[in-house]
Amino acid sequence: MGLALPGRRRIALAAILLAVAAVLAFPAQAAAAATLPGLALASVTRMVAAYVLSLTFAIVFGLTAATNRRAATVLLPFLDVLQSVPIFGFFPAALLFFVATFHGHPAGLEIAVVFLIFTSMAWNMAYGVYESVITIPRDLEVAGQSLGLTGWLRFRRLLFPSMIPKLVYNSMLSWSNGWYFLVASEVFTAFGETHTRPGLGAFIAEAGIAADMGAIALGLGALAAVVLALDALAWRPLSLWSERFRIESTSREALRVPGPYERFRWLPRFPGIRANAIGRLRPLAQAWERASLRLERGYVGHPAVVRTVRRADMIMFLAIVGIVVVAGLAGIAGLVARGLPADASRIPGAVLVSFGRLSLAYVVALAWTVPMAAWIGRDARAARVMTPVLEVFASLPATALLPAILAFSIAVASFAGLVEDLAALLIGLFAMQWYLLFNLIAGVRTIPGDLEEAARAFGLRGRTYWRRVLLPALAPSLVTGSITAWGAGWNATIVSEYVPYGGVVYDADGLGAILARATFATPPDPEMVLLSVLAMIAVVLSLNKLVWRPLYRRVATLYRMEVQ
Amino acid sequence: MTDAPPLLEVRGISKSYVDGAKEFKVLDGIDFAVRDRDFVCVVGSSGCGKSTLLRIIVGLEPPTAGTVRFEGQPIRADNPQVAMVFQSFALFPWLTVEQNVELGLEARGRPPGERRERARRSIEEVGLTGFENAYPRELSGGMKQRVGIARALAMEPLLLCMDEPFYALDGLTAQSLRDEILQLWSDPEHPPRAVLMVTHNIEEAVYLADRVIVLSDRPGRILAERRIDLPRPRNRKEPEFYGWVDELYSLIV
Repeated sequence: MGLALPGRRRIALAAILLAVAAVLAFPAQAAAAATLPGLALASVTRMVAAYVLSLTFAIVFGLTAATNRRAATVLLPFLDVLQSVPIFGFFPAALLFFVATFHGHPAGLEIAVVFLIFTSMAWNMAYGVYESVITIPRDLEVAGQSLGLTGWLRFRRLLFPSMIPKLVYNSMLSWSNGWYFLVASEVFTAFGETHTRPGLGAFIAEAGIAADMGAIALGLGALAAVVLALDALAWRPLSLWSERFRIESTSREALRVPGPYERFRWLPRFPGIRANAIGRLRPLAQAWERASLRLERGYVGHPAVVRTVRRADMIMFLAIVGIVVVAGLAGIAGLVARGLPADASRIPGAVLVSFGRLSLAYVVALAWTVPMAAWIGRDARAARVMTPVLEVFASLPATALLPAILAFSIAVASFAGLVEDLAALLIGLFAMQWYLLFNLIAGVRTIPGDLEEAARAFGLRGRTYWRRVLLPALAPSLVTGSITAWGAGWNATIVSEYVPYGGVVYDADGLGAILARATFATPPDPEMVLLSVLAMIAVVLSLNKLVWRPLYRRVATLYRMEVQ
Repeated sequence: MTDAPPLLEVRGISKSYVDGAKEFKVLDGIDFAVRDRDFVCVVGSSGCGKSTLLRIIVGLEPPTAGTVRFEGQPIRADNPQVAMVFQSFALFPWLTVEQNVELGLEARGRPPGERRERARRSIEEVGLTGFENAYPRELSGGMKQRVGIARALAMEPLLLCMDEPFYALDGLTAQSLRDEILQLWSDPEHPPRAVLMVTHNIEEAVYLADRVIVLSDRPGRILAERRIDLPRPRNRKEPEFYGWVDELYSLIV
């Protein structure tokens, strides 16, 4: 591309000029902008810490569940529940615990924030590891056995590589999930006290409290820039690299899952930076190779040590599970013994209100994502133009958009008195829609070319085409996207139904609002927190078990594309 | 010549799977031996438990009853003197050809220099020199199976076990690989000393084997054991060749 370099230079020049003009025009915002790199670094550090923790947890947990059948009977249902726990629900308790442990030192807050992000990242990664290990082809497993692969070498040569595709894919989901909770957790009010850790999320939230539109825009821009830069420099190369570890399979099982939609294709590749990074990492990789060989020898030499470590690991995990279960049961028993609080009777109605609002957001999301996916999934030129735009929007977590959405809702719906409802609806929409869109685009891409051509040859057009080709082909990815979208939607109710903005709290009715009110009250109401968290777990789990899973099974067998 | 213990001795092997309250018998009372310089084919229709038998023989699955002895000792899964070739190739997609071939030696803690040298030799024996750094997905089916064979040869096994190794290949490729296996086996200087192969292709068994063991449908029992005494190289067009194929067919059907 001969024109690429001058074109890029021109863009860079324009950006610099624009920045200079901006500084001259808005000196106050420019001073604020100067603090942004430091804040971004602080936020990214928290994300990385939480990610490393999640990765370690996911591998240990997923591997144990996949290789130890007895452990799996405990671990898998546990994971199922964890995945549907509204994360903000137990954050105040965790925050209180860590702050008390560190006697109010900021380190306690930092750990609490990292812990919250960890809980938003770890579960789907663990499930990805579990799925990868149990779907290793039998022959490959047998070949490893007959070649004598055991212990560490088996992990390094067979188990870990086979995890990589799903682990990278889920890491990308977890990473954007992490941004969502990072932004929400840098400023958190619990037990009558507001705790703030400096970061991009805090910057945006504070701009929202001050209703400062310029600062909100600045913060959102910086956040989008950081998110996209990391996607370009880390996630995109990683996802391309992970393709190497995909096991070619002729089994039908493998076809059931629509392939991950390859995101961020349009981002620049930075070949220079990448080559440089690889050059720097190579000695590290070699050192790792040598160290792991030494570890392997030690492992083979001392099986008793290995067994002890593994047993200790298991005991620790079971102890944690035990404590959580016992504490939960004790809380419930206490509730039952003392009688339910007066507000408990409001929970069923609130569930219905939240459900109705989420349904409306879901319908709105469907109404635009299905045609959009059909358009960019089949039209290469549309994809080139629209994908970057959509992915920039998608890179902004819904929590970061709270102030912007509130400002919009106040401007639009004040006269009708519907500010809270509109804001909650929009936040729910932003939490749900991207999961639908990107799953649907992947679904459109899996329609085989032959089928498209056959449809054209038989003159299928308009409504007939949609009814007979497109919608059936989209059904599996629609259900997959819906499961994730609804999970995210329920989780969002806690932030969407109770939003502090410009010194006022916008409080819509609903389950999330009940939970948030009980949490933020002074003093907080632990009984209502527990009850509403339990209600939310019950709703999410039963929707998954009774609606989505059966639907997915039916759709997967009916509308699956069999590719030769 | 029956004084020394045979290379492989299979005695009274039975295998059942339990599914709920029901018990499925897959193999029933299998008895045979593989001696030095033998090329033995086990034939039977699909689902007769051939592959299960092979997995029991190499120690990857325990039998419900019976014993497998290798050079007089109970078989162990990680016995380097028995190597396995798979119908699906079972190559590690994230390792290069050379890394795949080295893997068994790596597992035995051989130093890198020796590993590389033995791997290169096996790769040369199967005619893949120049493809050491290729990844399996870049190779054709026939080349993939050559890697599978090289990986087995690198272990310098006494017994080479093959599970339908040519099933997934086209006819021409399969035939040239059959001839190469015969060549490797007939060279007394190089391993393997004996080959045990499972196949459902009777013609292939008659073309390759000294002895053919015919299994019945589930549960697999030995219906017959025949010594094929045709001179090598064998010609598929000769009436004697067809005589054997017909006889074995009539045993199965």
